Amino acid sequence: MSKMKLSLGKMDVRKDILWRVYLIYFIICLMGLGIIYQTFQIQNIEGDKWRSLAETTTTEIHKIKAVRGNIYASGGSLLATSIPNYEIRFDTQLPALTDEIFNANIDSLAFHLAILFPFKTESQYRKELVKARRNGNRYHLIQRSANYNELKALKQFPICRLGRYRGGFIYKQINRRQKPFNQLAARTIGFDRPDVRPVGLEGAYAQYLRGVDGHRLEQKISGGVWKPIHDALEVEPEDGSDIVTTIDVNIQDVAHNALAYQLSKNDADHGCVVLMEVETGEIKAIANLKRSNSGAYYEWYNYAVGESTEPGSTFKLAALIAAIEDGHLTLEDTVDTEDGSVQFYDQVMHDSRQGGYGVITVREAFEKSSNVALSKLIYRCYKNNPQQFVDRLYKMGLNDPLGVDIAGEGEPMIKKPRDNDWSGITLPWMAVGYEVMQTPLQILTFYNAIANDGRMVKPQFIKEIRRRGKVIKSFPTEVLNESICSRETIDDAKTMLEGVITDGTGRNLRNSTYRIAGKTGTARIANGKYGYKYEGQYSYQASFCGYFPAENPKYSCIVVVNAPSKNVYYGNQVAGPIFRDIADKVYASSIEIHENLVDKNPESWARREDGSSPMPYVTYGFQDDLEYILSRLDIPADYQDMESTWAVAIPKDSIVSIEVRRLDEDIEKGKVPNVIGMTAQDAIFVLENAGLRVRLVGGGMIVRQSIKAGSKIYSGSEIILELS
Amino acid sequence: MERISDLIKGDRTIWIVVVILSIFSVLAVYSSTGTLAYKYQQGNTEYYLLKHFAILITGLVLMYLAHNVKYTYYSRVSQLLIWIAVPLLIITLFMGTTLNQAPRWLTLPVVGITFQTSDLAKLALIMFVARLLSKKQSQIKDLKSAFLPIIFPVLLVCGLILPANLSTAAVLFMTCICLMFIGRVKMQYLLSLMGIGIVGLCCVVGLLMLTPSQGRLETWKNRIEHFVSGDTEGNYQVQQSKIAIAKGGWLGVGPGNSTQRNFLPHPYSDFIFAIIIEEYGFLGATVIILMYLILLFRTIRIVSRSPGAFGTLLAMGCCLSLVFQAMINMAVAVNLFPVTGMTLPLVSMGGTSILFTSIALGIILSVSKSTGQEDTVAPKGRRKLAMA
Repeated sequence: MSKMKLSLGKMDVRKDILWRVYLIYFIICLMGLGIIYQTFQIQNIEGDKWRSLAETTTTEIHKIKAVRGNIYASGGSLLATSIPNYEIRFDTQLPALTDEIFNANIDSLAFHLAILFPFKTESQYRKELVKARRNGNRYHLIQRSANYNELKALKQFPICRLGRYRGGFIYKQINRRQKPFNQLAARTIGFDRPDVRPVGLEGAYAQYLRGVDGHRLEQKISGGVWKPIHDALEVEPEDGSDIVTTIDVNIQDVAHNALAYQLSKNDADHGCVVLMEVETGEIKAIANLKRSNSGAYYEWYNYAVGESTEPGSTFKLAALIAAIEDGHLTLEDTVDTEDGSVQFYDQVMHDSRQGGYGVITVREAFEKSSNVALSKLIYRCYKNNPQQFVDRLYKMGLNDPLGVDIAGEGEPMIKKPRDNDWSGITLPWMAVGYEVMQTPLQILTFYNAIANDGRMVKPQFIKEIRRRGKVIKSFPTEVLNESICSRETIDDAKTMLEGVITDGTGRNLRNSTYRIAGKTGTARIANGKYGYKYEGQYSYQASFCGYFPAENPKYSCIVVVNAPSKNVYYGNQVAGPIFRDIADKVYASSIEIHENLVDKNPESWARREDGSSPMPYVTYGFQDDLEYILSRLDIPADYQDMESTWAVAIPKDSIVSIEVRRLDEDIEKGKVPNVIGMTAQDAIFVLENAGLRVRLVGGGMIVRQSIKAGSKIYSGSEIILELS
Repeated sequence: MERISDLIKGDRTIWIVVVILSIFSVLAVYSSTGTLAYKYQQGNTEYYLLKHFAILITGLVLMYLAHNVKYTYYSRVSQLLIWIAVPLLIITLFMGTTLNQAPRWLTLPVVGITFQTSDLAKLALIMFVARLLSKKQSQIKDLKSAFLPIIFPVLLVCGLILPANLSTAAVLFMTCICLMFIGRVKMQYLLSLMGIGIVGLCCVVGLLMLTPSQGRLETWKNRIEHFVSGDTEGNYQVQQSKIAIAKGGWLGVGPGNSTQRNFLPHPYSDFIFAIIIEEYGFLGATVIILMYLILLFRTIRIVSRSPGAFGTLLAMGCCLSLVFQAMINMAVAVNLFPVTGMTLPLVSMGGTSILFTSIALGIILSVSKSTGQEDTVAPKGRRKLAMA
């Protein structure tokens, strides 16, 4: 057989080869036909199924969230901003996550998780994850809100580091709104969350802050990634604008803390403070605190804006202004307070002091806050024409809401004689601030108008709206009422308000540096649910509303403390100290409202025998500062025509001589400068910038330095400064 | 024109087929690299277009150079190449670059080019087997002196490729069996070899199913399981490929309009046929298949005039490995075959495989040059074959 094959000729070999080649060619052609047939089958027989499947999985329109704008304080501090947070979940059923991998790493993962998020222990994490895997949980929550650093750390953990498609860790970015100053003005800043009624400035200016979400068509590509398809439908998101508020964080801090301290001291239920700039109506600070179950105070509701109550004695000012403006009264008219009580129909009006004040003038009645006097006076003036009284109050805008931007402003209420609930006692009770409703902010706006010589301006929370640093909208002062009453009446009102501090119920607010004008108030409050009694006791609202400095008002302020449950409920004792704390801080930090020291107290500015002033001790420091202080104090100085950053001021007989200190030049040469006579603040600035480490001993001016001036600077070495 | 046509020798039809496939290649690769460009090149799709274009040009140059070499020379070259290819395969197996968990790539030191060593080994083995078969034609039916010396390098090379690239090893093995069949090796040896191969494959598959596996084995296991169970929901790639084919219709959605390129994992290589069907429809698919069949037909025509056994076997080996690979790639795309990592020769993107394919085509053309001389001697047969 093999012999026969071997003996085949060359042509036969060729033929033998060729039929084999054709056979293979035939088989491959069949394969080609098979592929063509299968293509036909997929296209025409199964076609509809695949095409409809394609429709559902290809593209989706995805939203691109716009970044919400920031809220700033007037000084540029951030009050609210959006910070990315991550929700972390775990797909325990990922096919790539085999038992082998899971079991080998679960202990280590639980261990690391317990360190990163310590609110659960290692064994709790372990149990929880094992259970989630057993239950087939594909979206197990690990942490609802992790920050970026936590996420970064987590990505290094066992299993997590395998990534989304091998390890099963899923994270979703959620931008969370944060308030860097936490509770400070928190309720006024407010919030704007889905499905909740927006609150505060976040709500009021949502249309600016939110920006416009963009959207684009995205296609799902392999690996679960969405790829944007750039087409004509794409809309870029427009980020939100920033809002600059009128709030001053430093004053806000003082207001918040003073309020919290007094509330807690008096075990009060809630309270609020608002500080307003007289001329512009800008709200510099607004704090609203409520006691929590644990006894701590926090921003829970914007009482200043929203809580409309019977204001009590602070309303007496409005009543008297009406009577004076209508020509019924002068400050020197008198009234008999009888025995400290007076009866109107079936109701008796009491004074807080037993036995009354005898016969007193209108001014004294206001200063002492006599209920009997005020109700008798107003009753006397208007009993025949109560409509005139009400008209006057209306004319002063007391029945109109302020229309502030923050939602939920409490409605003011002043009854009219035509109303069904107008009774015989309504008029005398209105005189002392009952049977009317006002919010703290409305009362403050009225007092602010007095301080502003009759011009009533709207409380302003917002200075401007900025977009990428450019102002796109600014908010000028809005005048609600150009003149609420005559100039003479204003002067009378101011006299009475100053009298409260000098001779009346607000004497505890007196101080020697600046004068306050204002009115205390105490009201027994009616709580909607509980009537005038709350938890078996009367509820009180202690308040103080006023302005300072009295002679040239710059700021007005109201303090309201509600339901002090201890016996101390008089406005001056509860609300007064809060007012005082804030006023002191504001006064101390606003040099522009200080009186000229020489004018104020010429005696203390003792003159020497020859009539010249003694030169004050002047310090060594920043030349611009020295110049400013000296010129401000009108002290003659000899600048010797020199220009230098740092200078030392040496008092001579009748002039201060300014001499150059070439600190910068010394430092450039690598020499330790002379800082003796400097303030610690300046010295630290200079020396630490030069590379030295400063240690301070004592307090005051620098009297000694441990490294001699002129020595070489060795970067990082320590210099001890003695102060005295 | 005259000069260019003077420069280009060998079978004109093969040149035309190569150019047509290259045009399809450029269009389909440009269209389907969008995802890749988005992921790695900030959406710069021209990056992949230019890169691919440059490789195609280089391939044409290599093809031109290879076809200028007299084919008998390759017989001797094969001896050297096989000695280079086997050590390279071993090196790759132990220290190659892992791509999709398979160590298939070797980075050449100094030059820094990464290439798939199996491509080189494939060419080397085909040339070497063609040489052995032609040398041993006189005692070809013998076991010891012919079959065993030939089958040994085949098993060695295929065995070395197999762990990293099962499908390439299988196609190469199949090509070698066909070569041996054409080369008149005794049928009973071949049949028993195939029997052993099938039994061996079954053992491997069985072992895979029983053992807990990871890495490459896991991938194989999944692919086979998906194909066997017909679980298309679980087999994302096949599902997306079918959507692409269904969307194409008779004439396709037009060049560059594919949407499935965004869903298919490797639209520019493994599943490029699906993208071609989506964009150029049933017509495009038929054209591509015809191109490969024409290529095979022309090679057979050359072979029928080949001056000697070596030329026949060399050209057939080069052509068959290419066409087998093409058929399997297309069969995968239409779900006639489980998912493998086969590229569509000359069409898919993928640097070195195009270069080696070009060299293989150059070798076929080189053989065709010699037949051209014989054509003048026997013009009659040409007509006969053309009719067949």
